[in-house]
Amino acid sequence: MKDDYLWDGSGEPDPEVQKLEKALGRYRHNQPEPNFNQVEEIRPVKQPKRFFRSRFSFQLVAVAATVLIAATAFYFLRLPVPAADSGPGWDVARLEGTPRIGWHSLGEKSGPGKLGIGQTLVTDGSSRASITLDETGSVEVDASSRLRLVISAPGHKRLSLERGTIHAFIWAPPGEFVVDTPSAVVVDLGCKYTLHVDDSGAGLLRTTMGWVGFKLNGHESFIPAGAVCKTRPKIGPGTPYMEDASTAFQEALSRFDFESISPAERNALVGILLTDARENDAMTLWHLLSRVSDADRPSVYDRLAALSPPPTDVTREGILRLDRKMLDAWWSSFGFGDIYLWRTYERDWSQDKPNTK
Amino acid sequence: MTVWPVTEPREEDALVSAARGGDRAAFGRLYDRYARMVHGILLARVPPREVDDLVQEVFLRALRQLHSLRDISRFGAWLGTITRNRANDYFRKSIPDEKVTEPVSEDQADIRPANDASEQEAAVILAVVRALPEPYREPLILRLVEGMTGPEIAARTGLTHGSVRVNLYRGMQLLREKLGEAVKGAS
Repeated sequence: MKDDYLWDGSGEPDPEVQKLEKALGRYRHNQPEPNFNQVEEIRPVKQPKRFFRSRFSFQLVAVAATVLIAATAFYFLRLPVPAADSGPGWDVARLEGTPRIGWHSLGEKSGPGKLGIGQTLVTDGSSRASITLDETGSVEVDASSRLRLVISAPGHKRLSLERGTIHAFIWAPPGEFVVDTPSAVVVDLGCKYTLHVDDSGAGLLRTTMGWVGFKLNGHESFIPAGAVCKTRPKIGPGTPYMEDASTAFQEALSRFDFESISPAERNALVGILLTDARENDAMTLWHLLSRVSDADRPSVYDRLAALSPPPTDVTREGILRLDRKMLDAWWSSFGFGDIYLWRTYERDWSQDKPNTK
Repeated sequence: MTVWPVTEPREEDALVSAARGGDRAAFGRLYDRYARMVHGILLARVPPREVDDLVQEVFLRALRQLHSLRDISRFGAWLGTITRNRANDYFRKSIPDEKVTEPVSEDQADIRPANDASEQEAAVILAVVRALPEPYREPLILRLVEGMTGPEIAARTGLTHGSVRVNLYRGMQLLREKLGEAVKGAS
């Protein structure tokens, strides 16, 4: 079969595919392997440490104690210096106005500051700032925002956005950069996004590149580029939707997610969503599969399958019983990103308690 | 076509494990296996003239961050994500924000100068592939440019066979339509 040729090169050759292979083959990778032996800074895997080693030495303890005393004395002597200037942290640059790190203001002449663990960056109505960490990414903080650095450890960076707006561009591996909000935990999966939290704790996330995971109390949403997702305190993330979805679609979704309505009303809203859904809205229908009632699920499946047929190893029966692997496989077929990343890194960040007010 | 064997998972896990322990030769063998995937993912996103340098950068970044990979059996998916992030980073530094998410147009494709008719044809085809929706671009480039089979794409990227198959066939269908339109437009 010609399809087999496209799949694995077997079967009857497809002349059109062969022609494309021949034409495009000139762009194929042909660079020699770099000399990796010349690369420095590789970090070996950490081995478990034993507290008492055979080479345990009282001299070593004495030196360590001296260093500890010196470090403590140094710390207390430095107390008058603003906290923002001390210790490891994220580089903060003033973009506009006078942002504050704790009690320390970043004015025009004060130069960049550091945001240490536990410290809060506050911008008033006329100030903005940016935060950068080389191996992780950069975050622009808009006016009227309050942002705290919760964790800054290798492989795990965590901020808490208590209110305001941030624009994050993250190049760290997926799952490493997490932002707590009062109504959801935002997990970067390789992307660029804007996150807004209002005074009530409600949030709005808009992804412009890659995709983002949103979670609270087991309620999860995946927001790919071009999509938006709202969150509400005590409810968590709503269903994400494409920004160009119809107004009727968006309104029905908002009522479905956040309003207390009767089953009959919910059924009517599902009807509107299925009627208005376009191919681009397949991602929204995928989320609805696990959010609608058992009675509504078959109609959601049928509409989604018509808009974006499931992979061959995904069955109707499996989806109707919400088989996790099949749901994941269907998501991955959309091409927004491998859901494995979420499932893997989910374990790490969900063990930490969100540190929001 | 050349069919590349898909590595046994256990053998590859051993290579990743050795590379994490500092074995540069093992990392070099991973480069041999994954360079085409990295090259293809980048070619689907950034101008062709930048791809070779970025391939080197991606592997250097992977080498430095290998200690943070928790599940060695997912090396391919992890490397793929680093590659996509690097491509995003490229645009962050070189293109104004509002253009980052737009599909790559023929003008932006920045293809190599075409010296003869076949080279010109290849450049046009590549530009059309790169203008396809993101889910189709990557598998098509890995298949048609890098010469990887569907099973190999699935094994390297960590995606399911079903996902790769669906995107390959849909992408190919769309590519046929777009090339047909391009021919009509030219005539």
